[in-house]
Amino acid sequence: MAQDIGTGSEDANFKMASRPATAPKQPPPESSKSIKTRGLVILSFWAVVVFLGLPVWLWTTSIYRASLPLQDMLDWADGKVFVPNSNAARHALNVLQACKPTFPLQIAIEAPFLQEVEAAHLVRMTQHALDDLNEFSAHHLRLRLKKTFLSQDPQNASMAVTEDEYAAGYLKDYGATDGMDVEALTVRLQPKTGAQAARAELQSHSAKLDVFYASNQAPSVSSSSSTLATFIAGKLQELFAEEQAIIAYILQSAQTMGQASQIALSASSTPRELRPRFHRSLNPELAAKMDSRMTRSLKYAPTYHITVSLFTPSATPSSWEIESALAEYFTPLLDSISGVSNFTVDTQVQLYAAFSPSVQSPEYDTEQQTWTLREEDLSGFINAAEWPLSPSIGAGPTLNFVLYVPDRSTSPLVVKGSRASSWLIPQWGGVVILNPQDTNATSSEATLSKESIQPALLTFSHQLLSFLGAPQTPPSLPLQIQTLTRLRAASLLLSASSTMGSLARLTVALPSIAIPETVSSAVDTTLMHLRTTCDSLKGGKFRDALENARIAEIQAEKGFFEKSMVGQVYFPDEHKIAVYLPLLGPVGVPLLMSALKELRRLWASRKIRQPG
Amino acid sequence: MKRFFCLLLSLLLGLLVSADPDYKELLNLQPLNPASLLASFNFWSKASLQSYEQQHFKYIPRSLGQILQHAKTRELHLRFSTGRWDDESWGARPWGGTKEGGTGVELWAWVEADSDSGSFARWVTLNNALSGLFCASLNFIDSTRTTRPRMTFEPTSSVSNTSSENMYLLHGTLPREVVCTENLTPFLKLLPCKGKAGIASLLDGHKLFDASWQSMAIDVRSVCSEDGSECSIEMEQTVDMVLDVDRSKRPRDNPIPRPIPSEHLHCDISKPYASNEACFPSDADLGQSWTIAEIFGRPIQGSCLSEDSQGQLRDSVCINVPLDREVNPYGDAVETKNEAGSGRCFAIPASKPFEMVLSHIGPQTFNDISQPPLYASRSFTGHGQERGGVQTLLTNPSRTSSIEFVYFETLPWFMKPYLHTLDARLSTSSTSSPEIIKETFYRPALDRRRGTQLELLVSVPAASTVVLTYDFDKAILRYTEYPPDANRGFDVAPAVIRLLPVEGQAEVYIRTSSLLLPLPTPDFSMPYNVIILTSTVMALAFGMIFNLLVRRFVGADEVEGWNLAALKAKARGRAMALLDRVLRKGKEKKVQ
Repeated sequence: MAQDIGTGSEDANFKMASRPATAPKQPPPESSKSIKTRGLVILSFWAVVVFLGLPVWLWTTSIYRASLPLQDMLDWADGKVFVPNSNAARHALNVLQACKPTFPLQIAIEAPFLQEVEAAHLVRMTQHALDDLNEFSAHHLRLRLKKTFLSQDPQNASMAVTEDEYAAGYLKDYGATDGMDVEALTVRLQPKTGAQAARAELQSHSAKLDVFYASNQAPSVSSSSSTLATFIAGKLQELFAEEQAIIAYILQSAQTMGQASQIALSASSTPRELRPRFHRSLNPELAAKMDSRMTRSLKYAPTYHITVSLFTPSATPSSWEIESALAEYFTPLLDSISGVSNFTVDTQVQLYAAFSPSVQSPEYDTEQQTWTLREEDLSGFINAAEWPLSPSIGAGPTLNFVLYVPDRSTSPLVVKGSRASSWLIPQWGGVVILNPQDTNATSSEATLSKESIQPALLTFSHQLLSFLGAPQTPPSLPLQIQTLTRLRAASLLLSASSTMGSLARLTVALPSIAIPETVSSAVDTTLMHLRTTCDSLKGGKFRDALENARIAEIQAEKGFFEKSMVGQVYFPDEHKIAVYLPLLGPVGVPLLMSALKELRRLWASRKIRQPG
Repeated sequence: MKRFFCLLLSLLLGLLVSADPDYKELLNLQPLNPASLLASFNFWSKASLQSYEQQHFKYIPRSLGQILQHAKTRELHLRFSTGRWDDESWGARPWGGTKEGGTGVELWAWVEADSDSGSFARWVTLNNALSGLFCASLNFIDSTRTTRPRMTFEPTSSVSNTSSENMYLLHGTLPREVVCTENLTPFLKLLPCKGKAGIASLLDGHKLFDASWQSMAIDVRSVCSEDGSECSIEMEQTVDMVLDVDRSKRPRDNPIPRPIPSEHLHCDISKPYASNEACFPSDADLGQSWTIAEIFGRPIQGSCLSEDSQGQLRDSVCINVPLDREVNPYGDAVETKNEAGSGRCFAIPASKPFEMVLSHIGPQTFNDISQPPLYASRSFTGHGQERGGVQTLLTNPSRTSSIEFVYFETLPWFMKPYLHTLDARLSTSSTSSPEIIKETFYRPALDRRRGTQLELLVSVPAASTVVLTYDFDKAILRYTEYPPDANRGFDVAPAVIRLLPVEGQAEVYIRTSSLLLPLPTPDFSMPYNVIILTSTVMALAFGMIFNLLVRRFVGADEVEGWNLAALKAKARGRAMALLDRVLRKGKEKKVQ
């Protein structure tokens, strides 16, 4: 400061000396003290602006953004692709958490008629054969010999006891396990005299595979290969082929999506050749098939609403015995899937339901003596404008099952070409055309009996399974439901992860979006449950995995669709100018000019002092 | 289990045997003197409470049923109305006023909840859902528009007493809502035949909303039998409208009214100036002659579910004219005449269109209209932007008996009444009579949170008029609280009057018309003006102080003036230098 004063006075002296003598009168020289005061005044004004005004302005206009673990979230979305590059240290934590969904399936082998050593040998060989067959490492079958008390004592009576035990039903057993998963499948080996080759039978109401083999096929301990082992391995592989394909497809599509978004988002230097090894490439036709399956099936939800509707273009039939029919043909299925999702069912009757004008009215096919609907009209069959098929109230998507009873004048009604009378509308529901069975049954015209609805309800059951994403094979329902558990856990895991990624990208892309604390906690919960899901999958606890994945998904959605994030604070520029300019203009200009003047003076005085 | 099934079966059988159908509909046509027609459409459906709770819907629509179940609503009354019922010439209201609402939308419901706040949360859910279903702004019924009336409404459900403790009555109005076609379409969709068959086929937005007065109503309630063993849920949809016959008869493609040729003009000969040159058109004794297709634009498309289990047809259309009037039905309708001689009804077969002609031949007589038990009119008094007042005239036309009723008003919070100014007097006296108001229930408003609720138990002596007045202040709203058309004014919901039931008579409801309250409206560019003005003042102050502190003050003769010539020379020198530099650069380039 002392220097400043010095230069100030020098400057004043210099100016006085250099002033031309022609000027009539000069103002008296300014004292160094007043120059110093002026400098201090300007400085203090600026100090107020910079240290008080600016922080207050920033503080009052700032948006609260809770901190999110962005890198973690993006990593989950990218399927935890570990990048072994220079900043590996930074990722060290993530590597520890890296998740690679695996599906180890326990399969029990019961061989009550074999010696324990023999049986163990057979299991080992079958496992080898299986491992050779399996080319998809994420999904693998682990065989385990189940020690039955029969192994030493092959008696038919005892055998019957075990059968009864198992006949009690897998479903109950399955529902009762708390977290600990039982075997995915039990293989029972039974010798059958007189059989030439081994034969396998899958029980359709329990997760059991009966293998009957000729007694000469029983492997000896010494032999290194066995036709029976190969046969069992092949059979098992066949049973789980579709599930493997679906899981592979889900993983792959998630991967490609993650990569696509990554490419789109930023030119990050992730080396893409380092894909996880489970990425078995699918052959195109299988992929196409899977594609159509996936677009058809609904997004997972803990609760689905099912609406069964009766539509008819005239006033009859105006009632149906739906309550008893549902209880008999539909509810058992829903009960058995309740481990995966819950369902609510409602029904309605709608009379005078006309086609939408875009649909061509049915044509009469004289050859077949039927009325036909064109196939291209099926997509517009549901008259969305007039038929009251609004979604049910409450959380969860609604599945619509429409039973359409055509007018007597246009029945029987079928689809042209395929002559089908039912079809699916992807992610929406199913339609069944119920043609009146008998044209002369006039007495029961107003009411549809339970028996006449039965075929339609069975069709709806099939459609429901495919909407849930259950595989067509194997034909055993418990196995299908188990598969469904695994598939849902996997797809939920992936979808929650990708939601995390989207949320992370969103917060980066929109700096003006507010992030409340609830989002941050939702993200934390999601990540925690994702980790647990991954561990449960590895441990083969698929029900636990589904439970955790479900919570993760709900939390992820909650975070992403947080209400206060949607409403962004938005002030258009002209608005800002209109508010700020009237004050900042008249105040800012004198402040700025004085600061410039002062700076110029300082600069000039320094310049003079340096040569001197 | 078996026993339960037996019980169920017997119940079902009982239901089948009972003659009460699950659905019925009736259109009542009542010509009103001189040239109006009251058409009352009534649709009634029922389902057992058990199937309703298990979500098996048949004639009770699924969309509405699910909403009611979701919001735990046990009883619902929803009204959409436009226009004003003309008491003087049309007489008493249809259904005793129980199926009409105030102008706009009115909704009241009994909601099951554990607490007051819980019931309000469900009420909000209900409003939001209904708002989506009926394309109306019901979601704007917030806490300021919601009241909990004490005396005005009684539940019509017969629910067992144990559950009624947790029932909360909530009432909301939207006097500003304009009812139109978008509300009628979802209303019709709730019907089993959706306006495709039966009397509902006459309902058309062009006619309904062209009416002088119309009211659409939905009532849902649950009814239990005496012993409480068998419960059912009932839903009633009602549309009432008063059509101007002449206006409705205008062809749709040529709706402009044309003067009647002079030879078709009916003149009122009782006028003193009546002659061949001067004619005062009289419609008082013109009577009416019309067909259904003329009035509604189309005939009735058969009937909807009118056949009962024995194959008997129910009456679908009734017309209330004296039996000596000629009424000609077309179509295979079965006619039944009323014993009292005041009307006839027609049962229409399911698939045949029905047409009816009220002939112009024969005596043009009408049934006498019944006198309303009370006339009520309400208006604003007061002056200026701040002081206001409300005056209600309540006239008891009866010469013999006094009348007792509940007067219920909900006022928006920005209308601040002074209860001490509440005054009731007979129109014949100038001093107030304290015996007129017997009870008062008053819940004052809270700014932006709650409206005023005022319920009065009033008694009017025979053949007299009571003047009810009170003063209020108009509040000033915040800038963002004004609607886009702020200068139009703010609607104040109609007052509801419930005439307490006298022995053997049903309840009667009367609603006054809504009021339009002008509030002081600011200039809406105000915030920017304020910003600019304050900024200017602040900038002036700042500039003054800053200059005082920073500037150096010298004598006037000591100031160095602007030397224009020197400035010019300097500028020219700069320009030359610049030009020189540019030219030189160009040359250098050429050389290279």
